[in-house]
Parts: sequence; structure tokens; C-alpha cells
Amino acid sequence: VRPAVGPTPRPDVYPLPPGTHLLFAQSGRIEFVPLEGYNMKKTEAKTVLHLPEKVIIGVAYDCVEKMVYWTDITSPSISKANLQGGGAIPVIRSELESPEGIAIDHLGRTLFWTDSMKDRIEVASLDGTKRRVLIDTNLVNPRAIIVDPVNGNMYWADWNRDAPKIETSAMDGTNRRVLVKDDLGLPNGLTYDPQSSQLCWADAGTHLIECMNPVQGDRRKAMEAIQYPFGITSYGKNIYYTDWRRDAVIMVDRQAGTETDVFLPQKQTRLYGITTAYAQCPSGKNYCAVN
Amino acid sequence: DSTVGSSSDCKPCPCPGGSTCAVVPKTKEVVCTNCPTGTTGKRCELCDDGFFGDPLGENGQVRVCRACKCSDNIDPNAVGNCDRETGECLKCIYNTDSFFCDRCKEGFYGNPLAINPNDKCKACSCSPYGTVDRQTSCLQVTGQCQCFPHVTNRDCSACQPGFFNLRSGTGCEQCNCNPIGSTN
Repeated sequence: VRPAVGPTPRPDVYPLPPGTHLLFAQSGRIEFVPLEGYNMKKTEAKTVLHLPEKVIIGVAYDCVEKMVYWTDITSPSISKANLQGGGAIPVIRSELESPEGIAIDHLGRTLFWTDSMKDRIEVASLDGTKRRVLIDTNLVNPRAIIVDPVNGNMYWADWNRDAPKIETSAMDGTNRRVLVKDDLGLPNGLTYDPQSSQLCWADAGTHLIECMNPVQGDRRKAMEAIQYPFGITSYGKNIYYTDWRRDAVIMVDRQAGTETDVFLPQKQTRLYGITTAYAQCPSGKNYCAVN
Repeated sequence: DSTVGSSSDCKPCPCPGGSTCAVVPKTKEVVCTNCPTGTTGKRCELCDDGFFGDPLGENGQVRVCRACKCSDNIDPNAVGNCDRETGECLKCIYNTDSFFCDRCKEGFYGNPLAINPNDKCKACSCSPYGTVDRQTSCLQVTGQCQCFPHVTNRDCSACQPGFFNLRSGTGCEQCNCNPIGSTN
């Protein structure tokens, strides 16, 4: 059988249908899998954006303008694209070396990122202006970063093999403190579910997904014996993570601690960051708007 | 463009192995959408992250994509470890440096190819008093710092026997002790 030839999907943006989706990076593309309830509609997975010359690491979603933001390490940069159509728009192009994790504060209209060579955490407006360094000390291999704008918190993970840690601070970098430092291996992925106030991380060294309420500090295992997680995102009762050994997106029931589904993209190559593209923004007011 | 209606409207995708392609509507550029395993790029001319080569031979001979060759001095959990075409190592660890992470970086010495990371590259730590121009670098393998006259030790931290005043910052001076009145 001859493989199908010819111009099939548009290599720029394939418009994202309504509903909630998973967005993840695989080599030079950003893919989406629609969610039906909490389940993956695997047959409707598509490439939303082709960037054949890039290596995309982190992805984040702005639920207000329905834009996807990503970090690229080949020509170190941060870009965005409207998921309703259009091409890539550069956001940050200078003073980057290895931008990896990226997070969006949809209320404050800012983006946050880690750079594993500059060993920094920075913030800027969604158009790239008003850029500022938030953290530039005691970082070795910062990767995952997430924000909880309703409570004004930022969380990040540093997979430094000698002293891996998960840290938190206010979204302006003040009040920094270590949340977790014991029994970590390579904490590659972090996610925060605002509904349940659960911070969860995926660790490629301990092969665990663990969760805790960052205020109460009640740490527990959510899934054991996973292979090589990179990115992680949460939605309702589920966690979805990308895996470097399996080249797959894996769905986990957080309460039951079981793997409930697997999505294997057609192309077998590493998957990187993953995020949930909500149909609607989660409710809640900006910490600063209230305080 | 298959809408015009002549037999030459559709052309085969310029992609290896007859894989699929697509046309960017704005620029009319053709982009491969399903490159063979390990390759990527508009024409599948690039290697995936963590690999290097020239799978289409765009800059000379065809070089299939191979894993980054960095003397075991990169971390497999890192991304972007080497240049996708040349293989130049970009994220050397254990204080190593250079194209293949096979030299100690400036200010370090030892055996970058040692099995145990602790035996790899150590800091020169040259003594600021005994070292010429307060240099911080030393010889790659032995770690010998460049000492002032009559200064000894790998790190130039002591005077030779019969000399004193390391702290002068210009080398050690002869003791000039009278052999008749001195012990030893």
C-alpha cells in the first residue's frame, strides 16, 4: 500500500474546535487531542501547528485570547499563535539560551518562563514587553513552572541531580521557599489543579507522580512505576503526562492511581511539554485585584 | 493545485520515503508532515533533538542521525544537548568543555574521560600569592599552575626549601641563613 501523498493538513494553524483539549509538543509540532468529559478523543487528534525546524519544549495556553505559547531551543525564543488561525508570532527573541518551562497568568496577562542555561526565571507581558528577572540564584536545572494567579503563587521544579527541589514564591519572586526536597529524582513536570488545590509533579528519577496541597503539605503518591515523564497537566480527576520512553500521552486517574488510557501519536519521537486548553477560563479573580 | 484541472497539477511530495507533505497557504511553501523516524524539518533534513547528522546530505555526504557524542559528559535528562547538524556539544557537565566535552573547562584540570564524575575535572585553585598574574587556569592534565620563581607545589602554594615570603606576590626569597649558625 502506498502511503497517502499530497497536501493534507495545513502546516500552519489547524483551527482548534470548541471544547477542552490537551496541547502537547512533539519535535517540530504542537498537537492537540480533544477531551470528551475527561477522556481523550484519540481519533480526533491533529497537528495544530507545524514548526518543522524547531524543537519545542514548553507549551502554555492563554484561555482569554485562545493563544498557544511555546519555548523553542533551536533559535532560543518564545512565540505564540492564535488557535483560531494564523501563524507564529515572536514574543521574546533575545537574551535566551535554553528556555524550557512556560506558564501563563491569564488574569494578570503575563508569561513566566525558566531558562536552564541562564539559570533564571523571568516574567514579561504577553506581548514580550515589561520583561523582568524574578529569580536568578540557586537554580541549576530549572524546567517546569506553573502559576496560580488566584492565590498569587508561582511554583517551579529544578531537576539538579545533586539536589532536586520544588520551590514556590509569590508571582513577583518574593517570599521564595523550598516546598519539597526529600525523595526527589528528576522532577521534570509540574501541574496545579485550582479546583482541588493539588500541586502534582512527575518524576523521571523516582518514577512517581506525587501530589500535595501546597498549604497543608500532605504529600502522597498518585501513581507509581511510571517510565520517563517529561510534561504533566491536570484536568478534573485526571492527570495527563508525556513520556520519553513510550513516546505517548498517558492518562492517569489521580484518585485511583491507575493508568486509564494512552495516546500514541503516529510519529514515534519524544514528546515534551503538555497543557490543558480549557474551553473557558477557570473562574477566579486575580490575587492583586482583590488584594 | 488540483483545482485547475491539468494532469500536472499535483506533484509528488519532496519528502523521503514518499511521506506526506502540505503547502503553507500564505507562502506556498511545501513542508513534509511525516518525516521518517529520527528526522524532522521542512524536507526531513534535520535530526531530532538529542541527535546529529545530515540525513539528506545537504552539506556534503549523507550522515544518518546519531545520538549526541559528548564523552558521557552530558545529562540525558537535558534537552538540546548537541547541535543537530555538526554534533557540537552544547551542554557539557562535570566542568568539561569543548566540541565533544572532552576537555576540562578553563580553570579546571584532570581527566575529563574518567568514569567516575569525581575523578573528572577539578578546580585549579591556584594560590593567588604564588601564581603569575594571579592566573586561575592551569595545565589540562597535571593541573600545574604557573608559579613565580622558587615557588613550588601544583597550586603554587609553598616556597621551595631554603626560600621564604610567598606572600610577597613576586616569588619566594632566599633565606640566606649562615650555614655555620643554622641547623639543617
